[in-house]
Amino acid sequence: MTATDFFSLMPLIIIATAAVIVMILIAVKRNHSVVAGVSLAAFALAFLSLFRITAVTPHTLPPLLIIDNYALFYMGLIFAASFAVTLLSYNYLKSYNFNLEEYYILLLLAALGASTLAISQHFVSIFLGLEILSVSLYALIAYVRTWERNLEAGLKYLILAAQSSAFLLFGMALVYASLGSMNINDMAQLLSGANLGPLALIGFALMIVGIGFKLAVVPFHLWTPDVYHGAPAPVTAFIATVSKGGVFALLLRFFVAIDIYNYESLVIAFSVIAIASMIFGNVLALLQNNVKRILAYSSIAHLGYLLVAFLSGNNLSVDAATLYLTAYAITIMGAFSIVSLLSGKEQESDKLEDYRGLFWRRPVLSAVFTAMMFSLAGIPLTAGFIGKYFILSAGVHSAKWLLVIVLVLTSVIGLFYYLRIVVAMYSAPTDDMPSQPGISRSVSFSGVLVLAGLTILLVWFGVFPQGFISLIQNMVSSLQDVYLSMIV
Amino acid sequence: MISIPMEFGLILAGTLFVLGLIGLMVRRNIIFVLMSIEIMINAAGAAFIFAGAKWGEPDGQIMFLFILAMSAAEVAVGLGLILQIYHKFQTLDGDTVSKMRG
Amino acid sequence: MLELLWLIPALPFAGFLILALFGSRLSRQSAAVIGVGSVGLSAILTLGIAIRFISSPPADHAFSQMLWQWISVDAFQPAITLYLDALSLVFIFVITFVGFFIHLYSSLFMYEEEGYSRFFAYMNLFVGSMLTLVLGNNLLLLYLGWEGVGLCSYLLIGFWYKDSENGYAARKAFVVTRVGDTAMAIGLFLLFTSFGTLDIQKLLQQAPQEWTINSTQAVLAAALLLGGAVGKSAQLPLQTWLPDAMAGPTPVSALIHAATMVTAGVYLIARTHVLFTLAPAVQTAVAVVGALTLLMAGFTALTQRDIKRVLAYSTISQIGYMFLGLGVGAWSAAVFHFMTHAFFKALLFLGAGVIIFVLHHEHDMFKMGGLRKKLPVTFWTFLIGSASLAALPLITAGFYSKDMILWYTFAGEQGNDWLWAAGLAGAFITSIYTFRMVFVTFYGEAQAEITHKPGMQLKVPLIVLAVFSLIAGFIELPHTLGHLTLFSHFMHSALPPTEVLHESVSLELLLQVIAAIAVLLGIYIAYHIFIRNRSIANNLTASGPGALLHRFWYSGWGFDKVYDTLFVNPLVWFAKINRNDFIDLIYTGIAGTSREFHRQLTRTQTGRLRWYATGIVIGAIITITVVVYL
Repeated sequence: MTATDFFSLMPLIIIATAAVIVMILIAVKRNHSVVAGVSLAAFALAFLSLFRITAVTPHTLPPLLIIDNYALFYMGLIFAASFAVTLLSYNYLKSYNFNLEEYYILLLLAALGASTLAISQHFVSIFLGLEILSVSLYALIAYVRTWERNLEAGLKYLILAAQSSAFLLFGMALVYASLGSMNINDMAQLLSGANLGPLALIGFALMIVGIGFKLAVVPFHLWTPDVYHGAPAPVTAFIATVSKGGVFALLLRFFVAIDIYNYESLVIAFSVIAIASMIFGNVLALLQNNVKRILAYSSIAHLGYLLVAFLSGNNLSVDAATLYLTAYAITIMGAFSIVSLLSGKEQESDKLEDYRGLFWRRPVLSAVFTAMMFSLAGIPLTAGFIGKYFILSAGVHSAKWLLVIVLVLTSVIGLFYYLRIVVAMYSAPTDDMPSQPGISRSVSFSGVLVLAGLTILLVWFGVFPQGFISLIQNMVSSLQDVYLSMIV
Repeated sequence: MISIPMEFGLILAGTLFVLGLIGLMVRRNIIFVLMSIEIMINAAGAAFIFAGAKWGEPDGQIMFLFILAMSAAEVAVGLGLILQIYHKFQTLDGDTVSKMRG
Repeated sequence: MLELLWLIPALPFAGFLILALFGSRLSRQSAAVIGVGSVGLSAILTLGIAIRFISSPPADHAFSQMLWQWISVDAFQPAITLYLDALSLVFIFVITFVGFFIHLYSSLFMYEEEGYSRFFAYMNLFVGSMLTLVLGNNLLLLYLGWEGVGLCSYLLIGFWYKDSENGYAARKAFVVTRVGDTAMAIGLFLLFTSFGTLDIQKLLQQAPQEWTINSTQAVLAAALLLGGAVGKSAQLPLQTWLPDAMAGPTPVSALIHAATMVTAGVYLIARTHVLFTLAPAVQTAVAVVGALTLLMAGFTALTQRDIKRVLAYSTISQIGYMFLGLGVGAWSAAVFHFMTHAFFKALLFLGAGVIIFVLHHEHDMFKMGGLRKKLPVTFWTFLIGSASLAALPLITAGFYSKDMILWYTFAGEQGNDWLWAAGLAGAFITSIYTFRMVFVTFYGEAQAEITHKPGMQLKVPLIVLAVFSLIAGFIELPHTLGHLTLFSHFMHSALPPTEVLHESVSLELLLQVIAAIAVLLGIYIAYHIFIRNRSIANNLTASGPGALLHRFWYSGWGFDKVYDTLFVNPLVWFAKINRNDFIDLIYTGIAGTSREFHRQLTRTQTGRLRWYATGIVIGAIITITVVVYL
């Protein structure tokens, strides 16, 4: 390996080293604050190192990895989200008195896995990244092991994720058997629009199952509410942002590279998944009474929206998908931050009842939560609106009318349950309200930091989006340029 | 030496995979569920080896090594989790470990 | 200095945000400081910018400040840009200054009320929205401000929401203005689709090039905009909401009537005057609407007992004058009258507020009486405001602005004798009802006890506004009285001058004398009836046609009744017999289907691990089927 190779892998090396350092620190002396601080520093460093790497992109480490601006952007997203999750977790875990420090090792490793996905261009690295991410997540989800819901969620995620990994692997094996390469670029060249044999088709279908599970799209969505509900709130935020962001980065890279738009049957499969996700996700959230479950169901729908951008298959689609994912990550992170900050020990404030009349007790938190809900619903002057606007224009440009119509109609259903939460927060308080211990606790400094940052980002993105849009277009256009030129 | 066509190997792997799936769907004991998953993952690994053999490359076998390593990690975490679950629920019946629904 | 323009609307919005988010934790003092201070700072900034703008005008007498480009997707590139020219400068000056004094006044007036910080939050938002409306350079911003003003009026009219009548008044204001807003929104869409730009200035440049005079599009666009203006400015036939809007706290009425909301229609027409020039028929309609409204509202004001309702109808009537001015092409005169009207109308409302305040929410003038000695400051300032409203010759601002409108109505190119006669009759009635109000309230025998004295925060705004009500007129003097044209000259950079058919000083003098006599006669009649001999009034309204007319006028010419019979009752009746109508069926059907669908889908979330695993297998089978067989 050359110096440039090492240099371009700097962020991953930083994260991996930090994981080892934390292990050593734990062996020497357990100190929650120090470990959290090291993790924070690692994420910050890794994030900053990305700016330096732009000098050498695109850089390929054959055959496994490619570091281009597209990957850098997604890594930035992953590190920033992990940074926020770490801050939240520190706040959240403080009230527990068992071994907390290992949590941060798992967090670092999970982020490592997700960023590996963003730079992978080979089945081996894809599999490794995915498994590093998943195995860390099993443990993270079940981390508060004294808590039944945690264990149940961990078990469900473990079994189902392993099952979906098996599907993904088998699919990869079939694709390999049929095409003779495990490298995305080689595959793209081998295919270049040629017809797919039945073996390859079944292989791709099985891969869609594996990826679809991680993205929690219909019909692979059944696990989502239970895991979102059962996991500790910061971990839920992690699944919703980092895990899905990494996998989506992979999905875009892989399917744009092999130019999925030439294969009608694959496009139809994804369209069916997208439409089903938008409808099922929104309808399932409709009358749900648990905020974490509402957000879980809504995440199914949002991934459906993302697939609409991906399926548009024009020069706007990668931009639109990335924009939307960024906006969604900011928003959902904000929403789960509030859930996490309001939660007390072993008792999360996740029931809709807990939020009734919240505005009269915690006006600022409620205002922020309202902003997050508006963004999820796609109301103008929030990040969510900009994202949705771009998806719609991508869809309209490619005349994907069915997808666009379903998106618009299901968004209306979505409005209903987001506003239900808002209405609950602003309804007049009653005297016999169940008082959650976490609701009245004052928010710590780290919590304020995360919330303030996310709120500013959300509104900034909504009101001054042009800067974000140009940044994203500059960063991710590399993906399309590289692969589209190759195909032409 | 008689060479066996890859398709036969893939059919074997597929059969194993489906067997694992069936085990996953019908078994209630979590340990057996975990074992079923191992069968599925190893079936996929076998498919890789057959595919690699077809192309005359070592890549399939390399992939199998990775798969072994990762499935070992998975089983380790899984068994740890099962231990905790037995501790808490006093049972290994997957169906009783379902408080969350709806 | 001009670069600070963005701060003018930003400050009230910031005040709103702070008060809305932290209001419940702030003390009354700090809430007042933020609420009043934000508008006060805006006013100071406006003053600075005005001085800079007048002393060294920017190129083309207009200054645009592009804040940022919102998004840019193909042709849709809305930029957030502020546009300052003479017209918007006059408006922001009035909005911030009068707004500031109203805020200052409210800090004491509302002190005892619950929801003190909420009140200031709404007030700040109101001022901010109005500033956005006036400063926005594109239709999108204008519409945003327009709707923001509507929302705030709803919130503030219904400020005492616990009383259901106030809620009803707020809803009425919202629904009635919505009729106009809908027309205006359609008008804006029409403009956008015709010219493909949201920028108002570009649009106004393109309009005369692409549309011929009296072309269908021009008439349609102008008529739709007029619809919006009529709704917001409470002109015939959408005036019914304004008198009921008196349900809100008095400072809110002052803000709605003087600085914000009702003048938005005047602004809209003045801003888009090019379109109205292209549609002379619609412009005449503006004048006719104005003339009819000013007469109708004047007669109604004659009969009201509630002091705030008198003022409300007088606003409708005065805005009628502005519409009359706009309709005959006397753009500057209309804006001039808007400015003087803002001073004296704010003054009158605040004065009325003091009276209501010290008499414990007494609104009926005939239960007041004899307050002249007890409330000297209020009396003198109220008298000045009334004189200005009645256009007492020579010394009041109202005289100069109203005279300018009347002169152009008679002598202007688009003028008309009949319109002038209506305006003159209106002036006569105005002086009667205004001084009826003054005499009944302040003279005669005291009917009620004063409980407490007004404080400084109440008096200072009264005095300042009274001074302005006197001197603001001297910046524009007619030919007969020195011929000073500071104001109209300033406005001509934004609005075209009015063409006069017969330029004659003697004619102008004659008209002024006639108008002056009408006003003085009106005052004398009011004096005769309400001070010397009250029985005349009682006899007039006691029986016969007098009583009928009185009832008719008192009810606001029966508009509410007509609307109730024509629109409200049939709709209510239709809704009643049609409780489960087919249109509802669609919605309840969708809701029910979704709910049922939700219930069925929720059953798939069993929580059982084995079922979830099976779900993935089913999904895999479906995917493979789709991929292989399609």
